[in-house]
Amino acid sequence: MRIDDTHRKWFAGSIIGLAVATAVYVLYSVRSAQGPRGGSALGLTFGIVGFSFMLFAGLLGLRKKFPIWRVGRAQSWMRGHLWLGFLSFPLILFHGGFHFGGPLTRVMMWLFIFLFASGILGAALQHFIPRIHTAQLPMETIYEQIDRVRGQLAEEAVRLVEEACSALEGEVSHASELQRATSASAGKMGGLTVASGLQADEEVSTQLRHFLGSEMEPYLSRAGAGGMSLSDASQARTMFQQLRVLLPQNLHSSVDDLENICEEKRQLDQQSRLHKILHGWLLVHIPLSYALLLLGAVHAVMALKF
Amino acid sequence: MLRRSRTTKKLAKRIDLQYFTRPHAFRRWRFWLSVAVPVIALGWLVTQRAQGGQKVYSSGPLSASHAVFTQQCSLCHLARAASFSAQVSDQACLSCHDAPAHHANQTFTPACSSCHLDHKGSRLAATSDSSCSQCHADLQTRDGQPHYAASIASFAKGHPEFSALRPGKADPGRVKFNHYVHLQPHLMGPNNARVELGCDDCHRTATGPDGWPYAATFDASQVSDSVPQGLKPASLVAGGGAAEAAPFPLRQRYMAPVTFSQNCAACHTLQFDKRFGNEQVPHEKPEVVHAFLLKRFGEYIATHPQAVHEVNPPDRQIPERIRVPRVARNATEWVQFRTDDAEWLLWSKTCKQCHSLSPDGGPLPVVAKSNLTARWLSHARFDHHAHRMMTCNACHANTLNSRETSDVLLPGIQTCQQCHREDKPKEAAEGRCFECHQYHDWTKAKRTKGRFTIPELRGVARLDTP
Repeated sequence: MRIDDTHRKWFAGSIIGLAVATAVYVLYSVRSAQGPRGGSALGLTFGIVGFSFMLFAGLLGLRKKFPIWRVGRAQSWMRGHLWLGFLSFPLILFHGGFHFGGPLTRVMMWLFIFLFASGILGAALQHFIPRIHTAQLPMETIYEQIDRVRGQLAEEAVRLVEEACSALEGEVSHASELQRATSASAGKMGGLTVASGLQADEEVSTQLRHFLGSEMEPYLSRAGAGGMSLSDASQARTMFQQLRVLLPQNLHSSVDDLENICEEKRQLDQQSRLHKILHGWLLVHIPLSYALLLLGAVHAVMALKF
Repeated sequence: MLRRSRTTKKLAKRIDLQYFTRPHAFRRWRFWLSVAVPVIALGWLVTQRAQGGQKVYSSGPLSASHAVFTQQCSLCHLARAASFSAQVSDQACLSCHDAPAHHANQTFTPACSSCHLDHKGSRLAATSDSSCSQCHADLQTRDGQPHYAASIASFAKGHPEFSALRPGKADPGRVKFNHYVHLQPHLMGPNNARVELGCDDCHRTATGPDGWPYAATFDASQVSDSVPQGLKPASLVAGGGAAEAAPFPLRQRYMAPVTFSQNCAACHTLQFDKRFGNEQVPHEKPEVVHAFLLKRFGEYIATHPQAVHEVNPPDRQIPERIRVPRVARNATEWVQFRTDDAEWLLWSKTCKQCHSLSPDGGPLPVVAKSNLTARWLSHARFDHHAHRMMTCNACHANTLNSRETSDVLLPGIQTCQQCHREDKPKEAAEGRCFECHQYHDWTKAKRTKGRFTIPELRGVARLDTP
């Protein structure tokens, strides 16, 4: 979620809340007989409010599971999750008087530190990466469908190459209308002999099939495919330029399509990478939050007992 | 010319509309981690609970004195019948520490744990000043009239000057003593040697292996044997030195009381008659001295019967009294005359040098009680041993010029406040109340009966709920 002007009220509220809590804590720690501690009235208040904010932040997962519930807009929940979750950390520090306490509370504090850090990281990623998506990945698709789309791209590339080869081998029946229309352009061009559109040219056809089999298909069929020539935009451009020199002009549009397919594959790979970055932190954040809420509940009960 | 078109319709056709019904690897990971991590956390908690009892719920390390029963929470956290709560109550503390209250007329008694906060790893006795100032900042008593300063917030705020130094107060001691004279160089010491005294020649926290430099050189047991049994004083009875019986750390804390035999006897000898050479009378009450003289002169005349007819020359040691030599007619009269002479020497010169003697209507004078103050800070503790790195004059600055017995040489509160401060605790000596004062009146403590076995304390065995 982008942190923009719509967060202004939440931001202001959180800053005011933090300032008030800090002022209260400073006064309390200076004046309290035995120093700040979780069991005092103010310490307990900090703990209860902080844990309530944590609970609210944790409920976001539930809210997402049931989007049809009429319990406020999802965006409001997200903003609440962000800012109340942020505020819960200093409140819990005030609750413990900046001490980590015994075994259980120490584990909880470390969980909370990792949880808080992952949350801050996640908020920053969610703020910046969507912009990169919009600017650099116009061909993005649904993340879960990337494999399926990649397969479709591979099929499309095979079809295009077969069409072009058929045209080169004189199988007009397989040639497209456009290829037929441009076949008249065959002949001499600038001192070079250019293959006619529907003229049989088995050698070029073989090279095109070889390019498909050795470069494009392996590239399109594998997720990522880092290290392959086509994964690099400038290398790919050179390769397709060479292909254009090899093929008659009436087939250049097919080369353009093949190049476009590779570009889409590159963007899908990039999307996949960004998605892992954008959502990978959740693999830390969500499990830690559940563990923390569970231990927090145990701590609350046992602290009341002892 | 690009033939591929990316219309919305074409793009939509590429998507499997049921994709969200099938779990994706990322979601699967998220789900299983969300299950596994809390389960691991719960497993850790259960394991800790199984291995260390309820220690896992501890809010911090116990104080050093309680650390031994870290595993046995229920020792202090007594479970109450039909109650979930097991918070620490005074009952748990009092079962081991019968801590008497502060004053009989205090308006309220705080709970033990409100001052002694455990699970902070610190000393339990190191209570905060506010524990004390909750009463002493505005002292109220049941009878409505506080006997002490009514508004003390801390050592720096509101603490009055030590009572011995307040206006009108003087040293109540009756032994005449001039510090100035005793600290001069070239004093006449034992065996007519010149000496220069230092403070620690008379003032020490405990008798070290080197002993006292100006202690009595005669054998106290001989004196003891010469004193009639009924008049034998406590100091001559075996085991009479109570101060020496105290544990070493306590002996190190306070200065040992100044006594004649330890600190004065080597220079201030108590000879009574030239016939007995350097033999001295016991440093005791006149009755004891009188009995001693009768006994010693009686013994002498028994072995020297010819001495009855000897004429005693005038005693030049007592210039203010011209004595007419008296000749005894028999041994009894001789003993009486010699005792009379010896006592005249003692009462009017030797003893009088330090003691105030007054007639009591009888034959023997009454010696004023020495009334030496053993502890000047009657409501506080002081540890001389902890201050051993300093010179005596650093605190007792007036001593070098003190000529009067009534001079109080206790350092003032400002001297202490130079080092004992609360404003910068990391750069100063401890300045909180507990450093000098005790809340509990331990003189009224009752003996508590031990209730636990070692396995019970260590948490190995289960405690039986009382």
